[in-house]
Amino acid sequence: VGPVRALQRFSAWLHAPLPESRAAVFAVAVYAFLLLDVLYLHPISSYRGALDGAWYQPLLVGRILPLPVPTETVVAVSMWGSVSGALAAVALLLLHPPGRWARVAFPVLGWVTAALWFEFQVVAFSYGKVDHDRFGYLLALCVVPALGLVRLRSGRLSENAGWVLRTVQLGVIATYFYAAFAKLRFGGPEWVNSATVARAVIRRGTELAEPLLQMPWTLVATQWSIVAFELAAPLVLLVSERWRRRAVAGWYSFHAVTYAMITIAFWPHLLCLLAFLPLERLVRLRFAQVEPPPRTGPALRPRPYRSPETASGQISPAPAPVPSVPAGR
Amino acid sequence: VVVVAVLLTLGTWVGEDDHFPFGPFRMYATATTPTGAVSVLAIEVRMPGGPWRPADLEPHSVGISRAELEGQFRRVVAEPERLGMLADAHARLHPDERRWEAVRLLRVGRRLVDGRPTGSEQRTVLAQWAR
Repeated sequence: VGPVRALQRFSAWLHAPLPESRAAVFAVAVYAFLLLDVLYLHPISSYRGALDGAWYQPLLVGRILPLPVPTETVVAVSMWGSVSGALAAVALLLLHPPGRWARVAFPVLGWVTAALWFEFQVVAFSYGKVDHDRFGYLLALCVVPALGLVRLRSGRLSENAGWVLRTVQLGVIATYFYAAFAKLRFGGPEWVNSATVARAVIRRGTELAEPLLQMPWTLVATQWSIVAFELAAPLVLLVSERWRRRAVAGWYSFHAVTYAMITIAFWPHLLCLLAFLPLERLVRLRFAQVEPPPRTGPALRPRPYRSPETASGQISPAPAPVPSVPAGR
Repeated sequence: VVVVAVLLTLGTWVGEDDHFPFGPFRMYATATTPTGAVSVLAIEVRMPGGPWRPADLEPHSVGISRAELEGQFRRVVAEPERLGMLADAHARLHPDERRWEAVRLLRVGRRLVDGRPTGSEQRTVLAQWAR
């Protein structure tokens, strides 16, 4: 009974309702980021077609699934397929076309996009190096389609939104916590006193970081703090919303400093950190710019370029019923 | 969610990079000894009649990155013709540039004493290929 109850409580926490519009904004961010990632930040796979297949060392998943040896065609299909899928998903979320087809199309597109992006990553990581900043984002791509085609300005709370956002949060926390774990597993407890950060600075340090090489204790202190905050990551689920957001701000600052010192940024992971933030304010803010924000006034009017039937009364306290979407959990 | 969590936990405990996306998050997870050498791999190339000169070891240049080549460098030492594949990839990615006639792989080592670089640099040729 104990484990069952724990599982029930976990499930209740996972599904506690959150604003649908927060999840919708997050979904737009996820798909917009895919374009940035594939075309600009991590286009590594796009060069693989030129390299002889002898360099390809398929990962386990590439051996279980009959994934093809990367050729120019394989690369192009996974690249442009995921980009088009993400573009279409963003268009659906922003335009919210009426009709059943759109509600069916959104999750289908989402999962096809996730699969193609995954293949693009397999192509990236089958040549000798695997990055670990992409787990949370892959998880996000897999769960966001289950949200269904929700409205950006939906005033509702929903269990689906809660599930999607909390799952991504768990992915973020797991990334930190297990990263500390991996350091202890591969580096041993002496990792904290080792010269790993010094090595990183020698290999790719900026002018900002170079002076620190002459003060090795700063780099060792950095290593202690990294392990400490990574191990402490799960605690953010236990603290108040206010402290949770402070912790997220702290994480963003850590990554900003890392970027300044060794020009490494875990971009997909940074995107996933958004799942902790009250993103719904972004869409309300844009409303507020159209009209002064009435405290208890009538429903805000839609922005001028939106057609009336897609954006009426979404922000009012009692929103018009939104057609329910089959939940894929 | 529970299944994913179990797989990820397993991957972190006993998995390897091979088990992506459930492998361990091991970037920067190895410990570097404070006194020893930090080495990086580099390539140098030669055009017909020219001297050796450094070339980018980056995916946009040769289809593979420095870190990846470091993961496979033993295979390169055993099969230097793999350097020729880099030359071919470079020709495909940059058809307008001059073709490489020869490629060699070097290890560039910098010594570290008590976590501080000493300033000495050692360059060793690990493998070489010519058309």
